[in-house]
Amino acid sequence: MIRLCCVGILLLSGALRGVEPAASNTYRDVLAPLLKAHCVKCHGPEKQSGKVRLDDLPADVARDSARGLAVRDQLRDGLMPPPKQPRLDDAKARAAVAWITANTGIRAAALPNQGNLIPHELLFGKPAEAAAPPGRFWRLSPDGYMGLARELTRGGTPPGLLQPFTLVPERGIRDFAALYTIDEPSTEMLLRNAEVIVELQTAHEIKDGKVSGKSKGSVPDFLALMDPATEPTRKHLETAVATQFRLAIGSPPSADDVTRFLGLYDKCARAGDRAGAARTMLQAVLLRTDVLFRGELGRGKADGSSRRMLAPAELARAISLAMRDQRDAGLMQAASNGDLTTPNQVAAHVRRILDDPKIDKPRLLLFFREYFEYGKAVDVFKDKPEDVFKDDPERFKHDPRVLVSDTDRLIAHILAEDKDVFRRLLTTSDSFVNYTIGKNKKTGKMEPMRANVPPLPGRKDKNQQPVHGPEYVYGFEIAGWPAAQPAPLPKDTRIGLLMQPSWLVAFSTNFENDPVRRGRWIRERLLGGTVPDLPIGVVAQVPNDPHRTFRDRLTVTRAAQCWKCHQRMDELGLPFENFDHYGRFRTSETVLDVGATAKHVDARGKPLGPVMRKAELNATGRMDDSGDPKLDGVVKDPREMLHKLAESVRVRQVFVRHVFRFFLGRNETLSDARTLQQADRVYVESGGSFKALVASLLTSDSFLYRASAVVSQSPPTSKTEPK
Amino acid sequence: MNTETTRREMLKGIALGAGTTLLTPFLGQLAAHAAGDEKTATRKRVVFVMQSNGMSPAHLLPSGLQTPRGGRWSNATLEELSLKDRTLHSSLEPLTPFKDRIALVQGLSGRIAYSDHSTNHGALGACPANKGPMAQTIDSALGEALPGLFRHVAIGYGGSTDSMNYSYSASGPGKNVPIICSPDLAFKSLFGSVAEGVGQKAFDRRTNLLDFMADDVKHSRAALAGEEKQKFDRYLEAFESLRDRQRELLAKKDELKRYAPRLGDKQTTSTSSLILEAQFEIATAALLAGITRVVTLISGGGGQRFGSFPEFGIPDLHGIGHGGSFGGKTYEQCFVELRQFHTGLIAGLAKKLESVKEGDGTMLDNTLIVYLSDSGDGHHPSLHEWPVVLIGNLGGKLKTAGRYMRFPAYGQKAHRTMANLYCTLLHAAGKPRDKFGVADIGLKDIDQTGPLSELLA
Repeated sequence: MIRLCCVGILLLSGALRGVEPAASNTYRDVLAPLLKAHCVKCHGPEKQSGKVRLDDLPADVARDSARGLAVRDQLRDGLMPPPKQPRLDDAKARAAVAWITANTGIRAAALPNQGNLIPHELLFGKPAEAAAPPGRFWRLSPDGYMGLARELTRGGTPPGLLQPFTLVPERGIRDFAALYTIDEPSTEMLLRNAEVIVELQTAHEIKDGKVSGKSKGSVPDFLALMDPATEPTRKHLETAVATQFRLAIGSPPSADDVTRFLGLYDKCARAGDRAGAARTMLQAVLLRTDVLFRGELGRGKADGSSRRMLAPAELARAISLAMRDQRDAGLMQAASNGDLTTPNQVAAHVRRILDDPKIDKPRLLLFFREYFEYGKAVDVFKDKPEDVFKDDPERFKHDPRVLVSDTDRLIAHILAEDKDVFRRLLTTSDSFVNYTIGKNKKTGKMEPMRANVPPLPGRKDKNQQPVHGPEYVYGFEIAGWPAAQPAPLPKDTRIGLLMQPSWLVAFSTNFENDPVRRGRWIRERLLGGTVPDLPIGVVAQVPNDPHRTFRDRLTVTRAAQCWKCHQRMDELGLPFENFDHYGRFRTSETVLDVGATAKHVDARGKPLGPVMRKAELNATGRMDDSGDPKLDGVVKDPREMLHKLAESVRVRQVFVRHVFRFFLGRNETLSDARTLQQADRVYVESGGSFKALVASLLTSDSFLYRASAVVSQSPPTSKTEPK
Repeated sequence: MNTETTRREMLKGIALGAGTTLLTPFLGQLAAHAAGDEKTATRKRVVFVMQSNGMSPAHLLPSGLQTPRGGRWSNATLEELSLKDRTLHSSLEPLTPFKDRIALVQGLSGRIAYSDHSTNHGALGACPANKGPMAQTIDSALGEALPGLFRHVAIGYGGSTDSMNYSYSASGPGKNVPIICSPDLAFKSLFGSVAEGVGQKAFDRRTNLLDFMADDVKHSRAALAGEEKQKFDRYLEAFESLRDRQRELLAKKDELKRYAPRLGDKQTTSTSSLILEAQFEIATAALLAGITRVVTLISGGGGQRFGSFPEFGIPDLHGIGHGGSFGGKTYEQCFVELRQFHTGLIAGLAKKLESVKEGDGTMLDNTLIVYLSDSGDGHHPSLHEWPVVLIGNLGGKLKTAGRYMRFPAYGQKAHRTMANLYCTLLHAAGKPRDKFGVADIGLKDIDQTGPLSELLA
């Protein structure tokens, strides 16, 4: 229910930004009468259905947030009151949901996977005004920290460097600015890393009494401080501090900073080891908050309104780290030249970076990895499939890493063409198949080749057929590996990312498909809906009846207390029963033939083992309560479902919401409505260009501007009623 | 009221209730002293050893006992035997010298933590496996009950190259305790600042740096308000806490130097078994030096990070979980070999503690070692039972003198769970609790509260 996060997460309290607390008398005016009219009959003093009692829910709902959030989820998802009871007034239900969310106080709706709590219609329903979010600090991501270390030492990751940062073990997009701070174990690692980095920056040798740099990372300005024979001058020290500031922060130190850092040097040098003192001073710069956090306070010039644009130095870092793991030289230069003071200047740099294929932009692909989550395929262990190669299971090797890299390439390919990106991601009938680029040993040229060519098992029979590679999973036969890629997949089998074997494996268990999680993914990531978490204490298990199809066994969730939530997932995931849990296309399911097995005995009546039969496969599904009336109804198979979804305006907009979350590092709020609408419009008008979509978000009001409240003495609050 | 004091107190409150492994020097100890329970605060100690990939219930059976047909016991009452005239299963053979201090415990269930493989936080939390840190785990709870300079040392081998693991231990809801999986980092965190031979100058420089950084972060946060300020508070607290500990460690310099392990190449090794050897040495030294009273040692990292031991010819622990064989050894032989290695490490730790006098006995007399798997009873656990090996009696608080105990089977009226065991440990440690973790709804008609009276002395 409440997903309490971990790993260096900040304990935050108080009302949330962006979620509109309705007037404080909402409890008296809305929630209390609503509970009384619709809930207390079954959840009151006389009867406590499901052991839930609500008449005593405190007006200060934060005191019993678990119960408060349970009520909210039920109302939000339309699960209560039960169907035969009088329906709730929609506006009142929404007001109650918003009020509980705002008053439970545990960062509700600020966590990953809670963005959909803001109803879609409120964001895209009608034109919205511009607004600026409050200033913030965003701790560097794990990749961003490593990128910084590489920049500082001008090379690869320095040996001995530890990764001090982690992300919450959440599904999907999870690097949210509000979640992370730096705790003590991380600080210890940062201290050690600072030593490692400065060691490289000051690596030197002394020949004939002269100090010279020893490694690529040696910083000339620091070398004068390493000379044991000469005491460094003030000038030397000041230059070194200024250089380290420039390298680590991108802007010069203030006079006060210089004085303080030199003070640290003096304090340490008094003991005698001047070089050690200098290193300590240089390490201290690397531990500063403005190095390890990306500041987005809005320190730019005021434009007459209450909001402020991010300052050039803030923007240079923010834009760089939105797309890359390190700072972009062009942006840093622009910032130090005093450019980046207008949205147009920012837009020019964003386009430059997006359009330059030589600039590595790993975070674009990372978005798709987090959004689709196909990378999780490598975490799902699979035994060898015994059904097909029962006599020789060694001949097919499940290799999830190749499946994931195929999907990476497919995304990169679609992004390179940058047309109709989202629709193609959902419906393309092309795929990369067991593909890599490697050196041809004969010609010495780089060319496409099979990524995984498992060696022939050491068998005596030399005429043995070669081993099946991962291409078999896509539906190609042994000799059918397509050299020209992306290749069209066998007709009428699979389309799009959700039918890539990587995604199907990622959303499977060790032994079976997982229609529930597949359905939840579609409910949340495509339809923008919500599903309550599995209630604590429920051990969810599908009965292990080998004579029944998985769809049939999953009917266990149709029990009333399960179906309340499962109706939002199962039917969306069941069309993927068209594939097995390795991602292989199938038209029937193999189940135990109970009757034949009973008869399968030897002359003495001893059982000779199970007999299997092919059961008819049903790959239909339903989309209900999708939020887009054109989508609701039966689908005959997963391909039809994905084609329908790809045509939906709502689904496209939900995609835009997720792109927003990744690049802005937070969930959207009502005040981001204009940014979202504009991004969606730009995407459509550009013919489905992902680059245009990203550029729109990175130059939006939500990205560029801040309300200046973060430096005030009281946290910002909003008193707007939900519209 | 001084606002600075308030902030620090508040943050320390967070750290105490939550904290990240190596936090808040002396605070816990101070609290224990303040409570007038000096003896309790300075004597008892608990070590958890958690090995991945399941512990076969058969490995707990001493000579003369066999797994029943169908694999599951069905006893309705506690059944027990003395280990006196029996030999331990070969996988536990290294523990033989401590046979009269051991309780082999079968029959406690942990179904609430049910999962495909590792139960992650469920193992030490008696809670669902895959919901992250839902509540305080038992190791952290004991760290509060038995405070030391380091309230809780959590180290081990995480089954991967990550230097930290966040899968098992928590000091409260949403508060993971990081487990240090690099011997180098663990050594430096515990002993490094005074014992690794860095000179006084380097020590002083570090102190200066920590002072300076605390000041620098204070400077940055001065202008902030609200949530953003809180982010910097945590970072500031880290520097202040490290600085404070720096001073406390200095005061214990002689003990630290005396006990600091000489790890040699093991300190930076990437070989799994050597990492474990190093971490056991570090843990032993930390206990001997008296800088902690609660240790968690892990082997494996949760989820499917079982680790790999190619040096024993067992490269794929997942493989042996699925019946795979390596180098002519069956999966069972592989399991036994790995368990012998781990119980050998435990025996080494116990032997060291036994060699040091404490009061009228030895350090081992005041210690309890809890050995279990985060995957309960197997690679794909059922958790109808969760085999546990207890070594030592925690200063006479537990009855573990050479017993094989089989608690009533799952579903029987007198059935007990891992939560009951954890309540028992808290009772024995002097901070009694009668509920722990999340109750198993599959046992809703069975009383799941209270300690295991059969184990309490």
